[in-house]
Amino acid sequence: MAIVNLQNVTYKYPLTDVPVLQNINLQVEEGEFVAVIGPNGAGKSTLCYTLAGFVPHFFKGELTGSVEIAGVESHNSVLSEWVLNVGLAFQNPFNQISGAKYTVFEELAFGLENIGVPRDEMIRRVEDTMKLTGISDLADRSPYSLSGGQQQRVALTSILVMQPRVLVLDEPTSQMDPIGTREVFGAIHDMAERGMTVILVEHKVEWIAQFADRVIALKDGEILLDGKPSEVLTSPLLPPNGFGTSRYTSVARKAQEMGLWNGENLPVTLEEAVEGFRFSVAKEGISDTRSK
Amino acid sequence: MTRERLSYYLKRDSLLHRLNPLTKIILALSIILVSFISSVSWTSLALWLIVIVPLSFLGKVSREFFSSALRLILPAAGFIFIMQALFQPVGETVILQFWLLDITQESLLFAFRISTRIAVMISAFTLLLMTTHPSELMSDLTRRGLPGQFAYVVISSLQIIPQMQAKAQTIISAQRSRGLDTQSSFLRRVSGILPLVGPLVFGSLVEVEERAIAIEARGFTSTRPKTFLREIPDTSSDRAIRWVLIALVILTLIFRIWLS
Repeated sequence: MAIVNLQNVTYKYPLTDVPVLQNINLQVEEGEFVAVIGPNGAGKSTLCYTLAGFVPHFFKGELTGSVEIAGVESHNSVLSEWVLNVGLAFQNPFNQISGAKYTVFEELAFGLENIGVPRDEMIRRVEDTMKLTGISDLADRSPYSLSGGQQQRVALTSILVMQPRVLVLDEPTSQMDPIGTREVFGAIHDMAERGMTVILVEHKVEWIAQFADRVIALKDGEILLDGKPSEVLTSPLLPPNGFGTSRYTSVARKAQEMGLWNGENLPVTLEEAVEGFRFSVAKEGISDTRSK
Repeated sequence: MTRERLSYYLKRDSLLHRLNPLTKIILALSIILVSFISSVSWTSLALWLIVIVPLSFLGKVSREFFSSALRLILPAAGFIFIMQALFQPVGETVILQFWLLDITQESLLFAFRISTRIAVMISAFTLLLMTTHPSELMSDLTRRGLPGQFAYVVISSLQIIPQMQAKAQTIISAQRSRGLDTQSSFLRRVSGILPLVGPLVFGSLVEVEERAIAIEARGFTSTRPKTFLREIPDTSSDRAIRWVLIALVILTLIFRIWLS
């Protein structure tokens, strides 16, 4: 039984005629790490809001079809109960700081106070989650004195600490440097390993290729592709539809057109590209001309 | 430049800081009430000298308290004193004539009473704010039944207003770098405010929506009983102090009625 179950979901924002999501059918198993890619305006954020219950409980508008998470139908639930199962962190970290707290530690405890977690457990959970995302040293800082990347980690941690069964993330690393991104992806991966279901909107395809179990390509509110990262991220359908691909995929595709690529699949990451080119070179017997 | 937070709180370790926030609120209110109820003219001045000033030493905030007394309380009380003395049309005994205005003994006394009361009121609240952390104050009141939304509005404004000031500064800089004149004649400066209002106000409205989503995602409207990270002690001496203070206010009231 899938923990996330979307059946024929179509959604229009209030006062608009064009649906942002059209006939979405999506089943996600517990503990699965699903990445969502798509060009601007594809409906990625709306999909996140739908999973997190803000569509239709916060944005109103017209939602047809059925959104079911952990066996509960969205229409039959209220937002304050829904968020116990589904956590949402999004792009702009500044607006995710509650503003009601003076230190990062208190900020992280804010959600747990709201849902009535006993104080001892609250402190333990905040400390553990800070360790996991690597922000223990920020505990006593004011959330407003942090950099964008640090704030983004605090925003992510503030949702992780609530221990939702499904974690929905809308570009959670947009303001981070590569080191920060790696750490955060590692933390998200850990959560998925522990059985948390992760649905992640992200542009950084190389990271997706390394960590995600499955990739969904969204285009104009519809699911264009749904499958393994190695298949979806190298699909020939991506470039003509306005999707960004990894530079290694682009290079290998060019090489394929020129007859220089003999690997089975196109690569997404640097390692796969190196491996593929080595294989091609060995097969073709192309000698290294530089040494001459 | 903008301050990081909009709060008078001074982190010290003192008896006054350790009191329960509600006790401090009742302390401030009862000082103010006694000062307003009492019919004896010198009550307020006496309260200021023998209660508020020692309390500022007890709270280890006397230096900051006197500095704010000089900058805020004295000018406010002084202004009220002068206005009341000049324009209060009471009394016969003219002490001083100033143009068309008479300053009488009665108007002076009245002005003295009003201005010292104002001084006591501002001082009491200043002390309360200096010795009580805003989130401690609000957590304690929420625990006692104040709606969480109300506490959120108070606390978040304290933090978000400085953030908005900083943002306004960024917008001004961005527009000046594109040639907006904000430093010449008054009229130009006024018209220079307009391009600031749009981005700041509409930008803030968009932010409010996102922030609402963010706090909702963390169970803000949950109907479950809340818990609190901050443990705010409410000792038996706190409760005793509160009852004594309430008794004092009632006594003053009885004294006032009995005297008149």
